[in-house]
Amino acid sequence: MNSIIICKTCILPATFPGISFDDNGICNYCRREERSVEKIAEKKAAFRDRLDELIAGIKGQNLSYDAIVAYSGGKDSSYTLKLLKEHYDLRLLSLTFDNHFVSPTAWKNIETVTNTLGMDHIRFRPPWPMVKALFRQTALEETFPAPTLLRASSICTACIGMVKSLVLKTALEMSIPLVAFGWSPGQAPIQSAILKNNPAMVKKNQWALFKGFPAEIQRRIHPYLIPEAYYEIYKDRFPYNIHPLALFDYHEETITRELKEMGWEAPGDTDTNSTNCLLNAFANQRHMDRHGFHPYVMEIANMVRQGVMDRREGMEKIYTEQNPNMVKYAEKRLGL
Amino acid sequence: MTETDLATRIRSFIIENFLFGDDDGLKDDASFLDEGIVDSTGILELVAFIEEEIKITVEDDELIPENLDSVTNVVNYLERKI
Repeated sequence: MNSIIICKTCILPATFPGISFDDNGICNYCRREERSVEKIAEKKAAFRDRLDELIAGIKGQNLSYDAIVAYSGGKDSSYTLKLLKEHYDLRLLSLTFDNHFVSPTAWKNIETVTNTLGMDHIRFRPPWPMVKALFRQTALEETFPAPTLLRASSICTACIGMVKSLVLKTALEMSIPLVAFGWSPGQAPIQSAILKNNPAMVKKNQWALFKGFPAEIQRRIHPYLIPEAYYEIYKDRFPYNIHPLALFDYHEETITRELKEMGWEAPGDTDTNSTNCLLNAFANQRHMDRHGFHPYVMEIANMVRQGVMDRREGMEKIYTEQNPNMVKYAEKRLGL
Repeated sequence: MTETDLATRIRSFIIENFLFGDDDGLKDDASFLDEGIVDSTGILELVAFIEEEIKITVEDDELIPENLDSVTNVVNYLERKI
């Protein structure tokens, strides 16, 4: 690991696609982002105003909930719930996609956080054979187009695709006007923090994501996706997607401290980039073996560049070896 | 700005931001979503580029594949708006 050249400003390695370094050892991605990093505060304020305005117009309008939150039980989505409840006082429904690899500590955290904040929660658990088939497929073969895999591992992309679909489907059925995600500021930029879902765009996006799967897997995934009829029946109630963490101060230490005050605990059985999933170490390892770079490296590099994470911490998150026991655990359960 | 200028700017933005400098024969009519080049959040990055650099406001109801899902679609959309 010591022999890999790594950008001296962020943490991107020489193995990252399209990377080059200048004489000072700084990568082209850092140089490219210099101008936008300077504008972050201004952009964040403008988008925060838009979010405030959007929430003011939506709050209390629906009979049941103001927002549904995709809730993994991890640090970022737990903090998103806290923020939406305490800062905006929204009526929230949280939904957890049980991928059969959620850490027992994360389940405890889900119970603690939803009880403390006084909100309803749905645990959505598809049968293990279906989930196993989905993850085995993504582990064994590269199902997604190459550009998709620059942003996340194949396994995570499949799992998140299911999550996005399920929360949107629930929002449509219950006429909930907002769908919230706990993306970190490194995962999705400020300008994508507020998105009005468009039926045609969702339909195309969903099809594009799962079209590469074999017919048998597609058949099994199909019931979890947005039904064709919804694009017409619910065309006027497609909600906004928001990811508020991009617009608020984000410091892991502060977030963790505030969550711990609520009774949330950091799981001891997950990898350095997850606080809920027992499959992540395997997903990361598989991605690194295939592509030569860590699937979280762009996200963490963005956070280092933005100054919301220090470089040492970023290095630790990316260049710590995946726990072989966790990798083996996932392999065994998936029958690999 | 000519149609060619617009296409060049959009292509450059997509290649630099989503293909990490590797155009790999990106065709002007290739669907960004079908090819996995951008996802729904990526579309908003493209929108931010259009608004900031080309000074065109993209309304919520204009966030449709017909306007934003390929270099050609974006250029045609911008030409209608300019």
